[in-house]
Parts: sequence; C-alpha cells; structure tokens
Amino acid sequence: MRFVFVLLALVFAVSAAAVEEKYDFANDEQAALFAELTKELRCPKCQNQNIADSDAVVAKDLREKVEQLVKEGQSKDQVIDYMIDRYGYFVHYQPPVTPATILLWILPGLIVVGGFAFIILRQKKAAQKASWSETDEQQLQKLITRYKRKESA
Amino acid sequence: MNKKWFVLTPLAVFILLCAFLLKGLFSDPRELQSGRVNQALPAFDLPDLMEPQKRWTNADMAGQTYLINVWGTWCPTCLAELGYLTELRERGVTIVGLYYEQGYDPDFGDRFDLAALQQEVRDMLARAGDPYQFNMLDLDRQFILDLGVSGAPETFLVNGEGKVLVHHTGDVNERVWRAKFAPLLGE
Repeated sequence: MRFVFVLLALVFAVSAAAVEEKYDFANDEQAALFAELTKELRCPKCQNQNIADSDAVVAKDLREKVEQLVKEGQSKDQVIDYMIDRYGYFVHYQPPVTPATILLWILPGLIVVGGFAFIILRQKKAAQKASWSETDEQQLQKLITRYKRKESA
Repeated sequence: MNKKWFVLTPLAVFILLCAFLLKGLFSDPRELQSGRVNQALPAFDLPDLMEPQKRWTNADMAGQTYLINVWGTWCPTCLAELGYLTELRERGVTIVGLYYEQGYDPDFGDRFDLAALQQEVRDMLARAGDPYQFNMLDLDRQFILDLGVSGAPETFLVNGEGKVLVHHTGDVNERVWRAKFAPLLGE
C-alpha cells in the first residue's frame, strides 16, 4: 500500500516538474494564470483537447501567444477575448450565455421542476380517485370480525 | 385518452433522440465557428514568398474582392485543391496564397531554408497548377493566428472594403464554391 502511495507521489512530482521546466514567468501568479488558461482554452485543430495537452502546431502557437500575453501582464479575460476574437467561442471551454445556449442552463432546471410537478399532480389524482364505498366498508368490517375471532380463539 | 398519450411518450422521445443523433452523425466537426467573419481583415505586412524584399500589406489589396488561401506543400488536401483553384483563377477570381510554414521552429534550433522552400513551391505549382497571383510567407504565423486559422487548407473571401465574408475550413471544390462563395459574389 505504501509502495502505491510513493509511486503516486512520484508520478505527480514528475508532472509538476514538467510544467515548470519550460516557462520562466516573473512570478507565481503569472505561472498559475498560464496553467489555468492553457487548460481552459480549446485546441481548434485536435478537438476535445485543451491547448496544454495538444501537440498540434496551432496549439503550440496558441500556447506561445498565451505565454506572451500573460508576460505582458494581461488579465485572464483579456487573453480569452483575444482568442475568441480570432477563433470564435469554440476556443473557450466555458460557453457564454447567449440566446442560442441559454437552453443548456434552463433545461436541467425545467426537467427537475417538471418532474416534481408530475409527481405531485399524479399523487393528487390518485388521492382523489380512491373513494371509499359502502361495499368497501362492509368488507372491511367482515375482515375485522374474522381476525378478531381468530385472536380470541 | 390521457393514457394513450402517455403510452406514446417513449416513442416520441425515441424519435426526437434519433433525429438529434442522426443530425450529429452527418454534421462536420471541422465546421468551426470563426471569430473573423463579417469583420475587417486583420492588418498584415508580409514578405512575398518568391521575392522576399517585396512586402505586401492590406493597402495593396484595397478595393479588390479576392480569396486568401492558406496552404503549404506539406498538406495533401492543399495539393488536391490546387487544380480547382486554378480553374477559379481562369474564371477571373483573384487568389492570394498565404504560405503556412509549420516545420520551422526557432525554439528547436531549426534553420529556415528559403531557397529550398521556393524550389519546392515552384515544383508543386508547376505540377498541380498555379492559382495564385502571389504568395505571402507568414513565418512566425502571427497573421495566420490573427485570422483564426487552425490548419491548412483554409480559404477566406475578402471584399473591396477589406471585410472577411467567408472563412472556409477544408478544401474548396465546386460544391463548396457554389454553396458558400458564389452567392456572395453574385455569380
């Protein structure tokens, strides 16, 4: 067990070192911003990879551009806007709320609310349906007397 | 009545799902949104590929409607579309080549051999057709990045006011031309 932990620790240590070796930023904030941005920006060529993971030429170019802009002291939003200006919203993994995408936010809520409404309505209907008739009452009385007799016997 | 409707719900959901997935099956994931359509062409100031002392800027193309074709000799699809582009040139379409050099990386100590590249380009264009009025070389790929290019080939349609009307990813052929470019040129 301990061996596994040591192995895991080693694996993570290697990846941490790998990130830091190539870029020399003036401070930790910039390094953190660069790591955050390259994870959030999407490679336009090899889809479903972020630019930190991808080896495509365009991903490399974007990484270098992000590095340059971060070193110039630009904020996260400025860098993302720079990329969106060129590559469209596709390049950012966080889609903006627009009339076309609003459904993504609304739909889950609608499904939950609709589900609850459905359950409550059905319960109400079921409660209304169960009317207690004379014959039910007689049958119930019969059963009660029968089991009472059994108990006393 | 109510129950019948209830029974049909799974079928309705199934049909909707089928329609959604079928649409996804035939949609082209390379068909990307572009940030540059309907906006001004970014500024460029690039050397000519064949005569590096000559530089091209936006001003040289002012007032003309033309295509910018991003291509490279390393790209097989570019080779495949050269024939059709040459046909377009013969029909009077102005096409400017934007050469995408992807092998060169100064970080790895690569040396860029312009003469060899020029020869390679000359050979390829002689073999497959030369659709270009001229070729620009964007060695550091800054203009290519400004255009939102993700690979090659990609083709842009720019109008006389310097506005980008179309950004097409992939090869240009008769079908693409009729669907995306011709309507905007009033053909």
